Amino acid sequence: MNRRLMKRRDFLKLLITGAGTIAGMQLFQNVQANVHRAMAAGPVGESTHKWAMVIDQAKCTGCGYCTEACRAHNDVPPEISWNRVIHAGKVGSKDVYISRPCMQCQHAPCVEVCPVSASYYRADGIVMMDYDKCIGCRYCEVACPYGARAFNWETFTGDNPAVPEWGQPEVPRRPRGVVEKCSFCYQRIDRGLERGLKPGVDPEATPACVVACPVGARKFGDLNDPESEVSKLLANHPSYRLREDLGTGPRVYYLPAREEASS
Amino acid sequence: MRIKPFRFPAWRLLSPTPSHGWLIALGGVMLAGAVSGVIVLTKGLVVTNLTDLVPWGLWITIDLSAIAMSAGAFLLCAAVYLLGLKRFQPLARTATFIGLIGYSMAVLCLLFDIGRPDRFWHALVFWNPHSVLWEVTICVTLYFTVLLLETAPILGQAEWVQRRWPRLARRLASVHHYAPVFAMIGLGLSMLHQSSLGATYGVLKARPIWYRPDLSVLFIVSAMAGGPALTALASTLAASLSSKVKVNDGLIDQLSHFIGWVLAAYLYFRFWDAFAMTYTYEPGRTEGLSLLTSGPLSFNFWIGEMLLGAVIPIIILLNPRLRSRKLLRMIALALVVGGVVAYRWDTNLAGQLVLLTYLPQEITVRYTAYIPSLVEFLVGAGIVAYGLMAFTLGARYLNVVNHEVAPEAEHQMKMVTAGTI
Repeated sequence: MNRRLMKRRDFLKLLITGAGTIAGMQLFQNVQANVHRAMAAGPVGESTHKWAMVIDQAKCTGCGYCTEACRAHNDVPPEISWNRVIHAGKVGSKDVYISRPCMQCQHAPCVEVCPVSASYYRADGIVMMDYDKCIGCRYCEVACPYGARAFNWETFTGDNPAVPEWGQPEVPRRPRGVVEKCSFCYQRIDRGLERGLKPGVDPEATPACVVACPVGARKFGDLNDPESEVSKLLANHPSYRLREDLGTGPRVYYLPAREEASS
Repeated sequence: MRIKPFRFPAWRLLSPTPSHGWLIALGGVMLAGAVSGVIVLTKGLVVTNLTDLVPWGLWITIDLSAIAMSAGAFLLCAAVYLLGLKRFQPLARTATFIGLIGYSMAVLCLLFDIGRPDRFWHALVFWNPHSVLWEVTICVTLYFTVLLLETAPILGQAEWVQRRWPRLARRLASVHHYAPVFAMIGLGLSMLHQSSLGATYGVLKARPIWYRPDLSVLFIVSAMAGGPALTALASTLAASLSSKVKVNDGLIDQLSHFIGWVLAAYLYFRFWDAFAMTYTYEPGRTEGLSLLTSGPLSFNFWIGEMLLGAVIPIIILLNPRLRSRKLLRMIALALVVGGVVAYRWDTNLAGQLVLLTYLPQEITVRYTAYIPSLVEFLVGAGIVAYGLMAFTLGARYLNVVNHEVAPEAEHQMKMVTAGTI
């Protein structure tokens, strides 16, 4: 019996050593991969595009057209807003607003934490949701610093009050129990590109909120194209992004409202 | 040899005993929970008080607590089969059974909590190895399998199973041969996911009060106190409520002593963790801390977690004279369990009740609120009642708390396996 026990102990030792070595190597590789990922210039991909949005706070009047157009084109239920417009104080005597779509982060916390990879990066930088994979654990909601995500607490049935006044739905309605968010109107971009249109220039290929803005406060385009309107705006104007300290690398830029602009 | 069929003596129902009352009460709570559960599944999570600002609530707390309370299984199995502290084997047996119940409770909680319970298996298929929650899911799934294998011998050793299905019983009991391997795998998996549950919160930069490496350490250390505490408490309780259940008080005394030291270590880590956060103002973190020290969670924190959950049990469990008084020791163990549950509740809420705005001018803080809805309470109570019911039945019919028979069983097991080879 003693020999049996010794054998078993030897076997256990061998197993522990083996498992420990493998686990150690895995851990090492994982740490390496994580550090690389954190330092790399965003999601690796083949796309030639890098979509970005520029929102000019000097022009924004807080009318909320963007939210309504988004609601209609993406069939968003009334209690959810993919794009929220928030009163952000005053500059001089003028009210200033923050219009907040999904930031389409370069290092998106939601993508990092999703246990089923329902949130993922597209090669062109859009942070996408796979509504067929999402299990509704809401970890991404807890992780997003921008409150850009909303859970479908109940089934959205009946008519969308924003339709047809603000547009027609272009994507399927999400089922109860999944988290949803702004997708930069990927469907408009993709269909537009197929038809040879230019997102940011041709309205049919541009996010609905940008098209709907009555004062032209929102611009959309390709950061990889130095001639695009967003590239030029960012090159010639001071801009900022929300919570840059977090290192998320948002693809939504803001041109701040300044005192002289209001006078 | 004739095999006597297992029969429940029906006449017993006609003369109710206190234990029947207990089981009927638990059944009632479970029924209420089941009805509420059906409401949740049909109407959706809109019937909860959870919001997009506080998406994790009572059920997540029960889930976290149930997993923490199951930590006795991996600890005691490691002590018995890897460190060779064979005398703790009967306690390991009880802890394993409690672990199985705890993990099944956690899974039940999650099934109600996730928006798409029909997709519970997605994490096993659509991998995101970068997500700590994915790692937790995989570990929990694997460890649940280990627990099933570890509890199989308990079923195989039960007298009525042996009488009715002798072959099955022998086969189930023979699984015990691999106990050391299970103990090792269980130790690895538990160290991983018990800590990762803390890291689930700890890696979120958007929530400053959570964003610190200590959470994973605090989660596993508190689980190492809470898990064995529940095992010791449940064993003592079962022995004092039923004349059939026999425990070795010396073993429980030793385990309680160990729990006292773990708790002291936990308090030490917790102190430096909290103390370090009191220096300098950090938006969101300071507010989160003040929710605990002087806000709506302060009673939980000071009284529930610190005084009752740590300081008093440490004094009782580390003092041989106080510890030897059975009632006092039981109270201390119950306080440890309560303290760990309070810690999970407070941790989960502290990060969600404080919201950092993302407005550029100044980083300001907003407060949110959360009180579980009736449906949430009922489902939660139903799940807890299920756990208590499962343990009660286990103690009665599977002999899960028995400090007299087990060492014998260990010996028998070797004979059985030697005979089959």
